[in-house]
Amino acid sequence: MNPSTAALAVERLTKSYGRARGVTDLTFTVMRGEVFGYLGPNGAGKTTTIRTLLDFIRPTDGRASVLGLDSRRDAVEIHRRVGYLPGEFGLYERFTALEYLTFLGSLRGGLDERSVRDLADRFDLDLGIRIASLSHGNKQKVGLIQAFMHRPEVLILDEPTQGLDPLMQQEFYRIVGEARERGDAIFLSSHVLPEVERVCDRVGIIRDGRLAAVEDIDDLKGKALKRIEVRVATPVGVDVFEGVPGVREVVAFGDRLRITLAGSIDPLVKALARFEVIDLQSHEPTLEEAFLTFYGAADDAG
Amino acid sequence: MLANVFAKTIREQRRGLAWWALGLVGACLLTTAFYPSVRANAASFERLLDSLPEGLRRAFGADFASPAGYLQARLFSIFAPLLLLIYAVGAGSRAIAAEEEHETLDVLLSTPVSRRRVLLDKAGAMIAATIGLGVVLALAIAVTGPPFEVSISVANVVAAVTNCVLLALAFGSVALALGAATGRRSVAIGITAGVAAGSYLIDVLALSVDGLGWLQRLSPFFYYREPDALANGLDPWAAFVLAGIALIATAIAVVAFDRRDLAA
Repeated sequence: MNPSTAALAVERLTKSYGRARGVTDLTFTVMRGEVFGYLGPNGAGKTTTIRTLLDFIRPTDGRASVLGLDSRRDAVEIHRRVGYLPGEFGLYERFTALEYLTFLGSLRGGLDERSVRDLADRFDLDLGIRIASLSHGNKQKVGLIQAFMHRPEVLILDEPTQGLDPLMQQEFYRIVGEARERGDAIFLSSHVLPEVERVCDRVGIIRDGRLAAVEDIDDLKGKALKRIEVRVATPVGVDVFEGVPGVREVVAFGDRLRITLAGSIDPLVKALARFEVIDLQSHEPTLEEAFLTFYGAADDAG
Repeated sequence: MLANVFAKTIREQRRGLAWWALGLVGACLLTTAFYPSVRANAASFERLLDSLPEGLRRAFGADFASPAGYLQARLFSIFAPLLLLIYAVGAGSRAIAAEEEHETLDVLLSTPVSRRRVLLDKAGAMIAATIGLGVVLALAIAVTGPPFEVSISVANVVAAVTNCVLLALAFGSVALALGAATGRRSVAIGITAGVAAGSYLIDVLALSVDGLGWLQRLSPFFYYREPDALANGLDPWAAFVLAGIALIATAIAVVAFDRRDLAA
């Protein structure tokens, strides 16, 4: 991955604020045509990373580049080609949504009215309403429209779906999908796992300011531990499963077994074949489980 | 009206500016309208003034009988500069800090407009609006003066108003710099108000306490008051000092804003 062709390249990025917070030694790349989810609990350093990319915060060490441009030196040119939605933002309350977008549009060399109308239609937002009287969700839509309206090559979105109702979230996912089709790079932060699972190709997981992992969504889910619940006709001792490949833990209570499994289910099914099985349920791991099994386990170990 | 940050800033303030202009006109009218009766009783006013300490007398202006002396005492000694100063300090402290506190700055700066450009547009809006209020003040004096026999040369009115505007912009720019450096409006207003009150006090105090002449020269109010522009016209050196303070403060604002991390 050559950083100069990457849409976004972060190299050993560090921002320290005295004691806690900040981010340490982050390195990752986001390619064109890729949706990259930046995942982590609140306060992990997601917003700090994002605001460094946009030159609102200056790194203590390391560097970041967007479309091959240096985040410090070429900030204005980067801003021209990037759409940005902050995690928390205020709007000019006395303006109407259209006035606000017109203002931002003129700072970008003129408003693309068709693009704005199209986005407003899709998000079902009345642009003529004074911002002060918009609901939180509608303000979020104004924020999203300003991020997308100039058809940027790179989108940097901090918690983009907060405040949106489920229908609008779906519309947002579609718009992100279309941007990816066009070859845009989308970097979005979230603490909502199903969302990341739904739209992202890859995720970076940040914890306490450090990048815990960067993985393909599918790989991450594949590595996850499955939970299998089995009901048997007569109680079975847990020692039966000793040595069965992939079985990590078995809990038996009465005629029920709860088995934690890594990898293929086949050896377990073979081992169970000796008994009369009444019911077997396998729970598809959510990303959340993947996340918790890997990084929760790492926590316990460390 | 929304072509750039300058236009947007002016537009946001248009209603406030209308009220400020109305207030200035009202203040002028109230001042000039009382001139005939004050002049009629000039002798007793001057006796009252004579009982004040020398410093205060000089700070307020002692010559109530002449139109220039009257206007200096009633309007230009404190009221007019204070009004313009409050406006400019408000605008200066809001410029960056209000956008930052209301979390509107991130999106604004995510456009291809540099921090420096945003700051200079905001400074420009403060300067333009303060000059606009100065023009209103000068016009109001020119219009409301003659009916009440407050007739002063237009050149001297313009000189006095220019001094007022420069004083206001000097402190307004200090507020701009503090707001740009800290991102906090209350800090910018608080410190600037303190500095303004302190420097006014120093100037008045130095008038009555011997040996404080050097201290006085540190006070922007000295450069506003001493030339007595209403009587003598503009003193280029004093105007240069006030404009210089504004320029230096604005340069500091640019550098401080450019260098720091912005609050989320």
